[in-house]
Amino acid sequence: MPTASVFDLDRAWDLHPQVSVRPEPFGALLYHFGTRRLSFLKDRGLLSVVQALATAPTARAACRAVGVGEDDMLRYTRALAVLARSHMLTERHPDP
Amino acid sequence: MDEQTAVAEPFDVAVEQDPAEDLVEADDLIEEVSIDGMCGVY
Repeated sequence: MPTASVFDLDRAWDLHPQVSVRPEPFGALLYHFGTRRLSFLKDRGLLSVVQALATAPTARAACRAVGVGEDDMLRYTRALAVLARSHMLTERHPDP
Repeated sequence: MDEQTAVAEPFDVAVEQDPAEDLVEADDLIEEVSIDGMCGVY
C-alpha cells in the first residue's frame, strides 16, 4: 500500500508526455505508451485532479482547485503516489 | 499508423480483458494493470 509520504503534494506535477487519458463513465483510463501500463481511475474527482495538475503550481493546489476537502486529501495523495510511482505522473520543474 | 489508431487500440483491448488478471496495484480510487501479459490478443 503506498503511503502519502512518497508523494510530495507541495511540488508541481504533470502527466507524463507518453500518457494518454480517456475519460470514462466510471472515471478514466490512463495508458502509458512507454511502460505499457493501464491505470483505471475509479473516481471522476481523481480525473479532475489529474487534469488540474498541468496548470496548478502544486498537487495540493490542484486538489483544492477541484474541491477535494481535507478529509479526502490523504486518499487522493495515495492515489497520486501510485500514479507517480508508475511514471504516469512526472514532477514538473520550473524553467531555469 | 496514425496517432488516433495508436491511442485507441490499447484501451479497447484492455476494456475487453479482466483487469484482475494482470493487476499490479489497487485501492479505492485507482487500479493499475500491465498489458504485457495480453500479447495474444493483438
